Amino acid sequence: MKAAPTLDGRIRIDVESPIDLLAMQSIVPDARLADRGLTERLSPGETSEDWKDYVMPELGEGFESQLGCIERAVSSLDLEDPQPLFIVRDDAESWYGGLNQARLALEDRHGFTGTPPDQLASAERAAWFRSQFYQRLQEMILQFLMLR
Amino acid sequence: MPETGTVTRQETSLDVPWNVVVHDDPVNLMGYVTWVFMKVFGYAEPRANRLMMEVHQTGRSVVWTGEKERAELYTQQLQAFQLKTSMEKTES
Repeated sequence: MKAAPTLDGRIRIDVESPIDLLAMQSIVPDARLADRGLTERLSPGETSEDWKDYVMPELGEGFESQLGCIERAVSSLDLEDPQPLFIVRDDAESWYGGLNQARLALEDRHGFTGTPPDQLASAERAAWFRSQFYQRLQEMILQFLMLR
Repeated sequence: MPETGTVTRQETSLDVPWNVVVHDDPVNLMGYVTWVFMKVFGYAEPRANRLMMEVHQTGRSVVWTGEKERAELYTQQLQAFQLKTSMEKTES
C-alpha cells in the first residue's frame, strides 16, 4: 500500500494487494466491534438521564456518520480495477474520527500493554498491526489535512 | 396601636461554576487533542498545548470553567471529538 499527501491537498491511498484491501476493509468492522458504546466510554462518572436521552443519541449518530463516510469510500476499492482512494479535506474529520473509533475498540478489546508484537497471539498481533496502521493514517490526516 | 413595618432583605444567589474536565486515554494523539482545544475554545496554541500536556501527564485537566449550560455545550462538543470529558462543580 502507498499512502501520501498530494500537491492539491488530499491524501492518496493506493491499495496494491489483498492484505492492503483487508486492512482498509477492517476499519469499520473494527470500530463496530466495540465492547461498549463509545458515547458511554466518553462520559466518565455519573451521567444524567437527560444526557443519556438527548445528548448520547446525537453523539452516536455523529459517530455512525463518520463510519458511513469510510464505508462508502472503501466499498469502491477493487483489486481487479485498481483506482486510488482520495481523502479530501472535507472528509478529514470523518476519517480521523472513524479511525479513532476503530483504535478505541481495538484498545478496549485487546488492551495493548506494550508487549512486543512478536510475543502476541496471532489474532492480537493482527489487531495490533491494524491499530498501528490506523494510527499512521490518522497522523497523516492530522498533519496534512486538519492542521493546514 | 403597634407599629408595623416591612423589612426587605435582598439576597443574590450565584450559581456555582462548573469545570469541564478532559481525561487521558490511551488512543488520542497529542497533536489532535491540542487541535481540538484550539477549535472548540479558540485557545491559542501555547495554551491548548499546555492543557493537552496536563491531560497527558496528570491524567486530567480542567479546560474551562463557567456556567452550567455552557459547560454542557463544551462537554458535548469535546465528546463529539472523542475526548473523554466530564463536568464537575467547582469547590467554591
